[in-house]
Amino acid sequence: MVEEKRILYEHLDVPDINTFDVFRQYDGYKRFEKAIAEYQPDDIAKMVMDSGLKGRGGAGFSTGLKWSFVPRDIKPCYLCCNADESEPGTFSNRYVLEKNPHLLIEGILICCYAMGIETTYVYIRGEFTLGKRMLDAAIKEAYEKGYLGKDVRGTGLNIDIYTHPGAGAYICGEETGLIESLEGKRGQPRNKPPFPAVEGVFMKPTVVQNVETLCNLPFIVGNGVEWYTKMGPTYADTRNDPPTPDPNTGTKLYCISGDVNEPGVYELELGLTCSELIEVAGGLRGEEVKAVIPGGSSAPILTHYELDTRLDFTSLTLAKSMLGSGGIIVMNETRNIVDCLLNIMKFYAHESCGQCTPCRWGTPWVRDIVQRIADGGGRPDTITRPKFGVTESGRWGDTGETEEIYEDLDLLESVANNIANVDTMTWNTICVFGIAVSWPAVSYMRKFRPEFEAAIREGKLVTLPVAEATVPPEENYAYQQRFIPKEFADL
Amino acid sequence: MSDELVQIETPFTFNEKNQREFDELIERYPIKEAAMLPTLHIAQRQAGYITPAVMKYVAEQLEVTVMKVKDVVTFYPMFFEEPVGEYVIRVCHTLPCALRDCKVVLDHLKAKLETDIASETNLAKGTTADGKFTLMKVECLASCDVAPVIMINDDLYKNLTPEKVDEILETLAG
Repeated sequence: MVEEKRILYEHLDVPDINTFDVFRQYDGYKRFEKAIAEYQPDDIAKMVMDSGLKGRGGAGFSTGLKWSFVPRDIKPCYLCCNADESEPGTFSNRYVLEKNPHLLIEGILICCYAMGIETTYVYIRGEFTLGKRMLDAAIKEAYEKGYLGKDVRGTGLNIDIYTHPGAGAYICGEETGLIESLEGKRGQPRNKPPFPAVEGVFMKPTVVQNVETLCNLPFIVGNGVEWYTKMGPTYADTRNDPPTPDPNTGTKLYCISGDVNEPGVYELELGLTCSELIEVAGGLRGEEVKAVIPGGSSAPILTHYELDTRLDFTSLTLAKSMLGSGGIIVMNETRNIVDCLLNIMKFYAHESCGQCTPCRWGTPWVRDIVQRIADGGGRPDTITRPKFGVTESGRWGDTGETEEIYEDLDLLESVANNIANVDTMTWNTICVFGIAVSWPAVSYMRKFRPEFEAAIREGKLVTLPVAEATVPPEENYAYQQRFIPKEFADL
Repeated sequence: MSDELVQIETPFTFNEKNQREFDELIERYPIKEAAMLPTLHIAQRQAGYITPAVMKYVAEQLEVTVMKVKDVVTFYPMFFEEPVGEYVIRVCHTLPCALRDCKVVLDHLKAKLETDIASETNLAKGTTADGKFTLMKVECLASCDVAPVIMINDDLYKNLTPEKVDEILETLAG
């Protein structure tokens, strides 16, 4: 049995930890004081780089590397804290904001010191009214105690934190969408490059970090890099010669929901397996696991064949899925995958920002196809199409064989792949929302194709037993690891 | 129709408390336009919903065109352009809540309030005849561990069952 390892959440349940005095008793702000007393700003940036901390918001990009892109000679530079937690299945930031807001402030202070930032905007989703109230109160306290404002603790640093409420748009969680929204416009993502690190909010260099990422900083500074890197696995990326380390260090706030007995946030070291996590969360509610969404609704689904996949950034990427924001949704044998996909597609059709045509029209189109299948109106005609797979040369391509497929399923795959192609990982949209739509659509369809076929054949939703509903890995190209070299796959 | 055309709306201005809040807010950003979302939140709190007069006032305050304000208001689901009930009931219906039977809660609310579900373009459809409640579906409220959840104005209600919904509605009806 895996033990919980509470670091960020360690003092979450201490009464009144949201007040300065109680937070102070639990080492509050001492890590920041240590940072300014013992280290130069560049030392902190180097520590973060060495710690291997990866952004917890979704993309899993190295925080240290992100910081290194920020030009140091252009001022002002801004920090945007992304607290627009909207990914279905994710709810860890909410608890930090509501229960321990001072921890976030301390993280922000350390980031500001390291990057020479004077102004921080915390973009909180509009629905987090309690979280915003708690954070505002904590910020006020920090100003009174001299940890924010002009000349912080007599060091000559000027640091301001402002909260900025969103207004219910999912796309504002995308970093450039967030920046547009912060500037008072529609939250439509920008074309990249230039990346926010070079030209972000108000056309100035901007660091955008998730709440959880910033909350990691006090512990990296307080306990040191060595302590931090001991947690979680570090793999060797053999695509490079010599192999480069690929760290998945630290803990992750896994949010687990759906069919488990004790849903909630569990802080664990990165790298435990999917079935271990289900066990930690009180076990499955039901007989059998049918499917697991490993990283928020936009992540490709995992089947019961893949439950030993380790839940860290690298392993899930190799499994052609993603850890994303760590929102794990478990489904038991009673669930119908077509119905679940319909629910998710309704979400995306509602949340598409409307900027790019493939996404604006494609997403509702995918939803309508799934709706049609779920309503029993799936077109029963089949078409014959070339079968793609691993060819004799060991590469991906046309195998020379053909396969029969229902017209609607082919259409579903084709529309989704034209928003963003999940096989080549190229998208026809400005932001990654496109891939967040086609990933679930295509992976659900490929991995649970018998259930989709049954719905079309029978003219109604049919929930098949788990073994029948799932396509075995060796038969299905949803599992093929097309762009990943063999050595890397055999970690 | 002609009535609508000639109708002159009462101009909108912030009350004293909100004006103070706005003055504080505007200091935070290097450009005034950036205060758009918080300003609209304040305005909606005061006026109940975003009327053309509110948009005009906000545009003047932030030194942008009215069209720009309208552009923003239409993008974000939390801003209403029509009157809503005293209590806005937001029912989450995204996957984790759906797996925990949010539909039962939604149907119960519908039956209890005797109203339909509001759509973004037709809020009146989901508002009760006495104007007390507006029922709407929303996407994930980020509380999947305590699903199914609903949000009534600023408050979140967790682990709902039809019985709990009855209790909540009774308290609100007062």
